[in-house]
Amino acid sequence: MIRVRNLRKVFRVHRKKPGLTASMKSLFRREWIEKVAVAGADFEVNEGEIVGLIGANGAGKTTLVKMLSGIIHPSSGEATVLGYVPWRRQDNFRRQVALIMGQKASMWWDLPGADCFDLLREIYQIPPKQYRESLERLTTMLGIQDELNIQIRRLSLGERMKMELVAALLHSPRVVYLDEPTIGLDLTAQRAVRDFLLEYRRETAPAMLLTSHYMEDIERLCKRIIIIREGEIVYDGSLKRVMQEYAPYKNLQVHLRRGSDPDRQVLEKMGKISRCDPGNICLQVSREKVPEVAAEILRLFPVIDLSIGDPEISDTIERIMAGRSGDSE
Amino acid sequence: MARYLKLYLQFLKFSFSRSLEYRMDFWFRIVMDCVFYAVELAFFTILYQHTDLLGGWNYDQILIFVSGYLVIDAIHMTVFSNNMWWMPIYVNKGDLDYYIVRPVSSLFFLSLRDFAANSFLNLIIAGGILTWSLMRYPGELGLDNLIWFLFLLLNGSLLHYIMQMYFQIPVFWIHTNRGLVNAFFSTTKLMERPDRIYSDWTRRFLMTIFPTLLVIALPAHVLFDGPDPLVISLILGVTAVAFLGMRSFWNLALRHYSSASS
Repeated sequence: MIRVRNLRKVFRVHRKKPGLTASMKSLFRREWIEKVAVAGADFEVNEGEIVGLIGANGAGKTTLVKMLSGIIHPSSGEATVLGYVPWRRQDNFRRQVALIMGQKASMWWDLPGADCFDLLREIYQIPPKQYRESLERLTTMLGIQDELNIQIRRLSLGERMKMELVAALLHSPRVVYLDEPTIGLDLTAQRAVRDFLLEYRRETAPAMLLTSHYMEDIERLCKRIIIIREGEIVYDGSLKRVMQEYAPYKNLQVHLRRGSDPDRQVLEKMGKISRCDPGNICLQVSREKVPEVAAEILRLFPVIDLSIGDPEISDTIERIMAGRSGDSE
Repeated sequence: MARYLKLYLQFLKFSFSRSLEYRMDFWFRIVMDCVFYAVELAFFTILYQHTDLLGGWNYDQILIFVSGYLVIDAIHMTVFSNNMWWMPIYVNKGDLDYYIVRPVSSLFFLSLRDFAANSFLNLIIAGGILTWSLMRYPGELGLDNLIWFLFLLLNGSLLHYIMQMYFQIPVFWIHTNRGLVNAFFSTTKLMERPDRIYSDWTRRFLMTIFPTLLVIALPAHVLFDGPDPLVISLILGVTAVAFLGMRSFWNLALRHYSSASS
């Protein structure tokens, strides 16, 4: 459904030094720099797939989404979405995609949601029967039937986001771009949005591209992730595989019999100590050494309980985004 | 076409219900515009106390000319003005994004979505002034002349909008176009004067390159002197070329649209 080949976007940015003198100078002479926002992206997204696009601020996620939704033109490269080149902005393409931006409102502030949806019905030329069914289904799923006649500006942030979701999905798009849909929402609203998206995908199977800074969004919604760093895709694969490839260590948590004080020097040879106090040890041990270290600990210390686990996905991804993928710290 | 008409009816519905929300603003705009109309009419009334003709037109003719201009201004304030004000903000804040992804012309959407319902009453008042000035005209005005005049008046509103768009669209590149828009409003003052007061070369310039005289001055000539095919072709031809040029300029601007960072 989405096919991207060597897609690049370079912005020309005016660099201005601080101060009044620099401002005066910039009136006559400007220094321009080229900022690579997306440096040759290649990937595909299939029907029914939710792909998480992860990266630090300014990594190029939103630029990529904007190119694929046809908002901005790329500097070079190719992309097709449902067989269309997005930036040609053909009506048939635009009728089948939706964009939801958590940081921008698409609805008219002074009007109730019902009026805004009515306008969208005209814009997308949704047949009346399909419109009624779609509106009923989406508002029921999100639990906002009673808020339809309240002006958007009088709604809470969570309710507004739910309205935005209805507005974006009314026309049953086959491709959905979600740019930080849960940003600023409280935990309950975040959960409601995630549950809704999962249910929506189950029912209609669109291709979804999701950017979010909340790892819980990614973990709950995406089986596959794309990690983007300074415009470059550094990982494209399953969320599970990222742990095997980029988290070369496991966490060993050990509870010792009361009063036991483990020898730090011995532990340091086994792995990196994250915690060591009487009765408790927490070690980061490289994957291949885990069986050996676990056996050694059981042999050397009076162990009550020993557990072996993966590090947090968020930590691993943060390390990849920061370019520290290989180190086992 | 029918689809866009339906959409426009929706815009009207929304704009009315929204405008009525802010009562003070609703009445204030009406009073403000009435003062503006009174000043415009008083200006020429005082001028004609010192002369019988200005650019070949007598007081009765100039009243129709000024009333026509007031109608064009009222149409502009009602139909386009709010949208023109929002446009640079949408471009700079990246709010244009949502208009681009919708399957409808972004130019249509951005130019017409906000109908200033609180100026609508002014449109009726300006229409009333024009009707009054036409009724009190002592000479004979043929029906043909009148129909062509009213049609060209509407065309003039469209041309006025198109001309302003040429000053709006550069915001995609320069990001602030306040200077340009001020320049537009200063230069369009030229259309508020009878065309014959300008020299030949200035007239030619103002009828082609910057066609401000086609907005109301030439339609007024059609009313007083009869529908000259050459004049009508010039007005409609220049409007069509200006419109096509504006649409290409808009598409070029969209190609350069960089949106805003999130």
